[in-house]
Amino acid sequence: MGTWDGLLTGFAFALQPGVLVYCVLGVTLGTLIGVLPGIGAMAAISLLLPITYYIGAEAALIMLAGVYYGAQYGGAVSSILLRLPGTPQSAVTALDGYPLARSGRAGVALFTSMAASFAGSVLGIVVLVLLAGWLSRAAVAFGAADYAAMMVLGLVAASTIGSAHPAKGFAMIVLGMLLGCVGTDVNSGVQRFVIGRAELLDGINLVALAMGLFGVAEVIGNVRDPGRQAVAGRIALRTLIPTREDLRRMPLPVLRGGALGSFFGALPGTGSTLSSFLAYAMERRVARRPERFGTGAIEGIAGPEAANNSAAITAFVPTLTLGIPGDPIMALMLGALVIHGIQPGPMMLEARPEMFWGLVASFGIGNLLLLVLNLPLIGIWVSLLRIPFRWLYPAILVFVCLGVWSVRGLTFDILMVAGIGLVGYLLALARFNPALLLLGFVLGPLIETNLRRALLISRGDPMVFLERPISAFFVVAAAALLVHSLVQARGRRRAVGAAAPDDGAR
Amino acid sequence: MVKRDWPDIWGGLAIALLGLGAAGWAWITYDPGTLRRLGPGAFPIGLGLALAGLGLAIALPALKRAGAAVTPEPWAAACVLGAILVFGLGLRPLGLVPATALSVLVSTLPAPRPGWLWRAVLAVLVTGLTVLLFHVGLRMTLPLWPRT
Repeated sequence: MGTWDGLLTGFAFALQPGVLVYCVLGVTLGTLIGVLPGIGAMAAISLLLPITYYIGAEAALIMLAGVYYGAQYGGAVSSILLRLPGTPQSAVTALDGYPLARSGRAGVALFTSMAASFAGSVLGIVVLVLLAGWLSRAAVAFGAADYAAMMVLGLVAASTIGSAHPAKGFAMIVLGMLLGCVGTDVNSGVQRFVIGRAELLDGINLVALAMGLFGVAEVIGNVRDPGRQAVAGRIALRTLIPTREDLRRMPLPVLRGGALGSFFGALPGTGSTLSSFLAYAMERRVARRPERFGTGAIEGIAGPEAANNSAAITAFVPTLTLGIPGDPIMALMLGALVIHGIQPGPMMLEARPEMFWGLVASFGIGNLLLLVLNLPLIGIWVSLLRIPFRWLYPAILVFVCLGVWSVRGLTFDILMVAGIGLVGYLLALARFNPALLLLGFVLGPLIETNLRRALLISRGDPMVFLERPISAFFVVAAAALLVHSLVQARGRRRAVGAAAPDDGAR
Repeated sequence: MVKRDWPDIWGGLAIALLGLGAAGWAWITYDPGTLRRLGPGAFPIGLGLALAGLGLAIALPALKRAGAAVTPEPWAAACVLGAILVFGLGLRPLGLVPATALSVLVSTLPAPRPGWLWRAVLAVLVTGLTVLLFHVGLRMTLPLWPRT
């Protein structure tokens, strides 16, 4: 199917009222979740997972994706107005957005972030269409060894790139993979780590795991939050209009940020958070007067916002064409598809054109909706920031319980959420990243299956991973990343030791 | 700042123990197979050992360095988890309405604002919303009230 036919099919599908409504619902919920600090896109998507049982797979994916990129728009609002990042991706937006808001130009900062988000998304969509077609043709040549090696690279990248403590990231991934082993082994039928509970035969419930790790643990961490002291005033629509000077500063950072985000979004293991930080660093480097950054530079909002939105879209490339989620949120999306019995892979563009092209079309529709709805509705989002968390979290908890219960109707799963929530809270206290655990949980079984298949095909010769060029490339890249992060960690330790020689003596 | 990086020490040790336990359990119980035909035990054993190594790699360097202090909120955690347990265990015998209301009351205990009126109002609101969404909207088959 050609690109134009595909797009036509996609728009015809996505504009059906029964599908469009989920797109609207997704982006609205996403913005809402993004605006409210304390609940992230991970928690929102895990909360919505059970609802996807009731609707078609395509509509479910469109809705969940809408939550994801909608949250990117919303996250900027609280970053700019309160210096409280609504989502981790928008943390850098606060660096220049908040000073702008303090100097009375909050409207312009919001406009910049929305416009840059939209432009970045459009760039991301173009890259997604081009890359997905190419990759799904190339991926036909992928064997089991290549898949296993690529997933390992993704996991290594996710825990090392941009991480201050790679060992802790790795530990989370391995723990997740170990949890992924629970249940009946598909190859041999052996029941592993089931501890005599029939409820665990199908493995740990993904919905329970995601809700416990994100929903419950995040609620516990925010319960004592006394409320927002610095609540922003009203934003008049007139103040959204940028000056000609502001407009002139936008296009180049948007293009640079969008390109950077598209690239890093499509790489497995690096996500939209990393790309927004990189985009900010790049804007500072290319700026003629870098000292303006941090005091309200338009470029410091435009670049990162374009980057995180384009990355949020190109992240779907490996997920849909290879069936390999590049980041934890994509792992949840993949989980939602697997719930519907769909295993994405190179054949999906051909076998399920509505799914891929419908999603692409919904990106376009959803982003347009976000742009035209959010600018006039900004007042509503701002007033939402006044709701104290204590009015929200009891309802979140009840929804979590009912959501988990609705999947299989088992009390066991609700109790499981409480247990996983406790573990998630302890992990957060010890500053482990639970998102990586989830990534390992989803990828672990896929890696095991492909690893065993590859060794079976090669008759037990582990060299197969180095003899096949594709897999050799991934293995070498993963090894290089590992060595790099080890060297970096050693360098950091030395630097710390030199700066504070009496650290241990205190 | 505190003298030692306790979160990393305890976290790393717990993870190392968990990894060792999982590897040992898998070693005893499941067949590791051969390289040519990996058994159900091979992957968990490998992962468990890797986890044990990583746990030590986290805990040991942390012994020698200072870390940021952690402020756990045991009361908040207990009430939030308690609310989930109340809901989960109460859903069948009590029905949706009492289970929801009770769970909301338990979960608001650690909220940073005193007084009972707002808690009661919130319990009524959330219960109403839940019944509307899940009973009327999604038509979940759940008893609303205790069976008599």
